[in-house]
Amino acid sequence: MDINERNIKVWSAIGPRATLGMAVLDLAKEMENLMVLTCDVSTSAGLDRFRKTYPEKYVDLGIAEQNLIGVAAGLASENYNVITTTFAPFQTMRCCEQIKVNLGYMRQKVCMVGIASGLVLGNLGYTHCCIEDVGVLRSIPGLTIVSPADSLETIKAINAAIKLNSPSYIRLTGGSNNPIVYNQDYDFEIGKSILLKEGKDITIFCTGASVYQSLEAAKTLEQNNISCRVINMHTIKPIDKEAIDKATETKLIVSVEEHNVIGGLGSAISEYKSTISKAPKQLFIGINDFYSKGGNYKFLQNKHGLSSEKIVVEVLNNYKKL
Amino acid sequence: MSNLEKYKNTFIKSLDIKESDFKESIQYNDVPEWDSIGHMTLISALEESFDISFETDDIVDFSSFKKGKELLEKYKVNF
Amino acid sequence: MSDEKDILKKINNFAFNSRKNILEMALAAGASSSHFGGALSIVEIVSTLFSTQIRFNKDSPNSDDRNRFILSKGHACLAYYAALCEVGFIDKEELKTFEKNDSNLLGHPVLNKSIGIDFSTGSLGMGLSIGIGIAIANKKKNRNSNIYVVMGDGECNEGSVWEAAMAAPNFSLNNLYAIIDNNNFQQTGSNKEIMNSESLKEKWSSFGWETSEIDGHNVKDLFNYFENGKNINKPKALIAKTIKGKGFTFSENNNNWHHSVLTKSLYEQALSEIIIK
Repeated sequence: MDINERNIKVWSAIGPRATLGMAVLDLAKEMENLMVLTCDVSTSAGLDRFRKTYPEKYVDLGIAEQNLIGVAAGLASENYNVITTTFAPFQTMRCCEQIKVNLGYMRQKVCMVGIASGLVLGNLGYTHCCIEDVGVLRSIPGLTIVSPADSLETIKAINAAIKLNSPSYIRLTGGSNNPIVYNQDYDFEIGKSILLKEGKDITIFCTGASVYQSLEAAKTLEQNNISCRVINMHTIKPIDKEAIDKATETKLIVSVEEHNVIGGLGSAISEYKSTISKAPKQLFIGINDFYSKGGNYKFLQNKHGLSSEKIVVEVLNNYKKL
Repeated sequence: MSNLEKYKNTFIKSLDIKESDFKESIQYNDVPEWDSIGHMTLISALEESFDISFETDDIVDFSSFKKGKELLEKYKVNF
Repeated sequence: MSDEKDILKKINNFAFNSRKNILEMALAAGASSSHFGGALSIVEIVSTLFSTQIRFNKDSPNSDDRNRFILSKGHACLAYYAALCEVGFIDKEELKTFEKNDSNLLGHPVLNKSIGIDFSTGSLGMGLSIGIGIAIANKKKNRNSNIYVVMGDGECNEGSVWEAAMAAPNFSLNNLYAIIDNNNFQQTGSNKEIMNSESLKEKWSSFGWETSEIDGHNVKDLFNYFENGKNINKPKALIAKTIKGKGFTFSENNNNWHHSVLTKSLYEQALSEIIIK
């Protein structure tokens, strides 16, 4: 795919789901044995074009996620490169045990993509939001978990994950007019976090849709004389321990995620950080373990402290108390 | 190049259709390339060509080549 | 027909050896006990499949045209391991390591290609979906091979079974068999007591499967069933009427033998009861 300014703008405009559709359309050209499996979500996952162009590479299992994973595993066992996708809560939790047995225990190489994770479908209520997926899947051994920061990173993540020799989960957050973090091509490697901005006072580890918000927050914090290091932790499992080691030289570690503060990026960071003597305190920014009333995306980001403005307030409060 | 030619060329290039498949009566979904994804690609290309930024309602209303001409005139593109 | 006589003799020998090996493993399990009853009910089914349908042995483990076997009711693994022993994948000594520390042979099958086990099963309701994935792959690769998934009747309580049951006919998977071991019992009681799964035949049939019902211990009927299936253009469901614990007087239709300890004395008694048909 041509990574240029125009395409980056288009992918941002169409959002991560439609970008998924573009990514697999492109992958199909070079991957003879690619198979894409869904649960009645072709149009929701930008796969309508793929379905029409490569009907032999597309299987719709209907609204049956447990069957989805078993069928995917069967195909993967016959050396197909399999991508499954449906809405994040159903992709990860309806068939959680199938994921454990087929992908974790049997290590069948399937790349699962959870669409519309986080809060983007908040106006539909929390049955269609997903603030638990990372926490639930992290406890399955052998499963790589990636949370891309924007539409371009979505393409890179899918391309990288499908080439792994092990199963993976890609968590898509954000919607159409997805803010752009990367406006030009860059190197992406699963497991290696990306330093977006250097700083010496605090380290902000962020992931998915929270990356853009964190970058904006960092600009304001700089004006308040707080030098912020911002790191895109696109890979939550395996976590980049080296980046956390380096972060211990700063005075405060902040984790920002559109996920429950229990079980996600923040927890993954603190699990490792707690093994380091004299590591700095950690501020967890995320959803504080409750299901709020619904609302549109911006409203919910704001409510849960995930907008750049709210991140600034929270960081300032905590930094003062150090 | 006149604005009309620029408009027509942007249509053909961004939707990646053959010049022979294009007619001025073309509407959304008339060709497989003008689906929801093609639409956003078209919008983005027009924004770049004419240095404008569409409002959301206009993106939704942009249902044909003819309608697009009307909408562009709102943004001071004269044909 | 002498050919048929030979075939039936082969299957019966396979079954006889399987029951002997099941006894060895159950004895080796000792106090850990084993899923004795549910393994015995599928011995004739597994014996027929492994001796006549599944072209799978140590000499050609990965041939493309091999028919596949998935034991979705993974707790019946004693019958599976016994079959793998008969076809040369597991030797008799290894059978005695059943459920021991670090053993390849646990109380549910664990994926291990070197001993012929393709999938880790045991969490009920998952095998048929995997079978569908392989069946689709086989169609795409123009392979002429079948997939046989053995399931339990209690297992049919699981919703995931019906997701798969609904899907298979939609993909015209005439290379897929769902064989339901209808022994009328599940873990803590009869199907009638726990979750009545009566009318299994009508259920599978209504989902679009070519459904048959036969005596799951009659090897002649089983053999003919699998031979005749080749001309049917739908996925096939076989409701095999079986007896849990089949083969020994103390275990037949006795649900205590779902999972129980085989003592030395019972082992001796059982040995004396095995007959070759």
